[in-house]
Amino acid sequence: MLLRMAWRNLWRTKRRTIITVLAMSLGVMGIVALHSYQRAAYDEMVAGVTRGMIGHVQVVGPGWREAPDLGTVVADAVVVEARLRAALPAAGTEKRVLGAALAGAGDRSAGVSVTGIEPGNTDGAALLTIEAGRPLGPAPAREAVVGSGLARELGVAPGDELVLFGQAADGSLANDRFLVVGVGDAGSYDANAVSVFVHIADAQSFFSLEDGAHQIIVRLPGESVDPEGTAGHLREALAGMPVEVWAWGEILPELKKTMEQKMKQQHAVDFIVFLIVALGVLNTTTMSTFERTREFGVMASLGTRRGRILGLVVTETLIQGLLGFTLGMGAAAAILAALSPVDLSGVVQGDVLGARMPDQLILRIHGAAVLSAGVTTLLTMLAGSLLPAWRASRLKPAEAARYV
Amino acid sequence: MFRLLTAMLPAVLLLLPAAAQAADAPPPGLPACPTKTEKPEVAPLLERMEQMMDGRSSVATMTMRIKTESWSRTLKMKTWSKGEDYALIRVLEGGPRETGMMTLKREKQLWNYLPQAGRVMKLPSGMMGDSWMGSDFTNDDLVGGNSVSRDFDSEVLGTVRHEGRDAWRIRLTPRPSAAVVWESIEVVLDRATCVPLEQRFYDEGQTLARTMSFGDVRTLGWRHFPGRMAVKPADEKRETVIEYEDIRFDVEIPDSTFSLHRLQQGR
Repeated sequence: MLLRMAWRNLWRTKRRTIITVLAMSLGVMGIVALHSYQRAAYDEMVAGVTRGMIGHVQVVGPGWREAPDLGTVVADAVVVEARLRAALPAAGTEKRVLGAALAGAGDRSAGVSVTGIEPGNTDGAALLTIEAGRPLGPAPAREAVVGSGLARELGVAPGDELVLFGQAADGSLANDRFLVVGVGDAGSYDANAVSVFVHIADAQSFFSLEDGAHQIIVRLPGESVDPEGTAGHLREALAGMPVEVWAWGEILPELKKTMEQKMKQQHAVDFIVFLIVALGVLNTTTMSTFERTREFGVMASLGTRRGRILGLVVTETLIQGLLGFTLGMGAAAAILAALSPVDLSGVVQGDVLGARMPDQLILRIHGAAVLSAGVTTLLTMLAGSLLPAWRASRLKPAEAARYV
Repeated sequence: MFRLLTAMLPAVLLLLPAAAQAADAPPPGLPACPTKTEKPEVAPLLERMEQMMDGRSSVATMTMRIKTESWSRTLKMKTWSKGEDYALIRVLEGGPRETGMMTLKREKQLWNYLPQAGRVMKLPSGMMGDSWMGSDFTNDDLVGGNSVSRDFDSEVLGTVRHEGRDAWRIRLTPRPSAAVVWESIEVVLDRATCVPLEQRFYDEGQTLARTMSFGDVRTLGWRHFPGRMAVKPADEKRETVIEYEDIRFDVEIPDSTFSLHRLQQGR
């Protein structure tokens, strides 16, 4: 009954209702589209961070993060990894060795960063996109995959020999020959110029690390993950072992902070947009209740309770809010579908604050954006309508019925 | 780095200079060591020092001990040097990965022979400031491209007692055109022999970066020569010490000793 009355009342002033609904839908559309775009970009950046070199959580040797020294390793990495897997059965883990060396081919040479990876256990595509040749084989065979910039500088291609020369953790002279099996894009200009990937066992032997590893990368399954919580859980699980546990947000605090700040700014924009819409709603609802003073007076004279009058006005506004929300969502979905995928390859290149920027964004309505717009719409409609509704419900029947 | 260092290090590693003259006859026109003068003129003083360390050729065997917090290593090495431009170091005894390692200096270029890889690698110019073989000597120290008289403004600051010996303190400041990484270098020079006793290398902001000390001064004909030298970085608990077992100056060394082709063959 209340709904039917409210619905009928809305269409007594069609133009006003349509304007209110349109204002609301524009607000919803703006918020949902912007939020979803921003979240898509952040999700991609986080995915880039966690899929690539950093992972969701890292287990490292004591003091490694402060001063990454070749000799600071997770000793007995296999044992630590086993305990880690027992604590987090669903997570993926991966050991890494990181060291510096000089790479030479013919009479050319360059300083390089040597990364020992587990080829069978690594999402190779996230670290490096092979452009020529093939990825590393599953067994240690002194093979190397090099960044494209480095390959150009040294003049090497798959099938060529690469000599690595450096200092091992025990002070000995690390030197050996490797076979270049692949050349690829390691994600950024800088990484391409210095990256050499080898099998972790080859790297451990080259740098005299026995079975130590510099990092054990933990990747959490699914989308909604809690790296900080997991890091805390792992600290307990690995208590007593000489290791440190870090979540990616602690490893790249600037990136994490920047993302959080941008989200806060987005919420401020939401607030301002809806403040404007709320004032509009307040205005139209106030106008509407003034115009209907006599009507409310008659209703009250006929015995309609105050609460019912208040409910009627609020219901009318909420219906407008629901219509605006639905229309806005539809418009936002249409816009995102029309824009997606967004090609960013020409806009951003390389790393920003340590995270690889995505080449393209797949846009879709983000759940958090819907929630944010929904809650804000409801609050806006209530804020804009409660005061006029309360006023309408407090009218004195005799005076109001005579109001012209 | 510069000739002074070359002078010592030198003396030590590659650039072991040998006198062009007979070992017991100083070169003509060599300034005397102004032992009795409190504040001697700096130019002849440094000229004597450079001349004393500068020469035509040398062959030496020495032991290098590198000691760090986590490891220590001893390398027995033989060095050949000819003038300023050619030198070869060969590791005679060390760990299995180092024995047979060679470093060849040809003019301004450094080449390493890597015994495990069985290959030769040229050192990029950007790596000249890096450590040689994990020691506290840099590759740049070995190349010794600077000269005290050409690249530094120098000044005798005064006299000082250094470990029981009378010495002068000399400050060297790189000229703007010189490719020197240090902001200044202080040399403590023995008044009796004109042999350096200590060198202190200062970074930007006059922060002490490393100290090189010399000892076991030997007399070889007219020259005095430090048979032991130690390098200690200021901010790390590590040290590299070189001790000579044998050194001969003014020896005929065939050019083929410094041949890149020969290095590539690991000979």
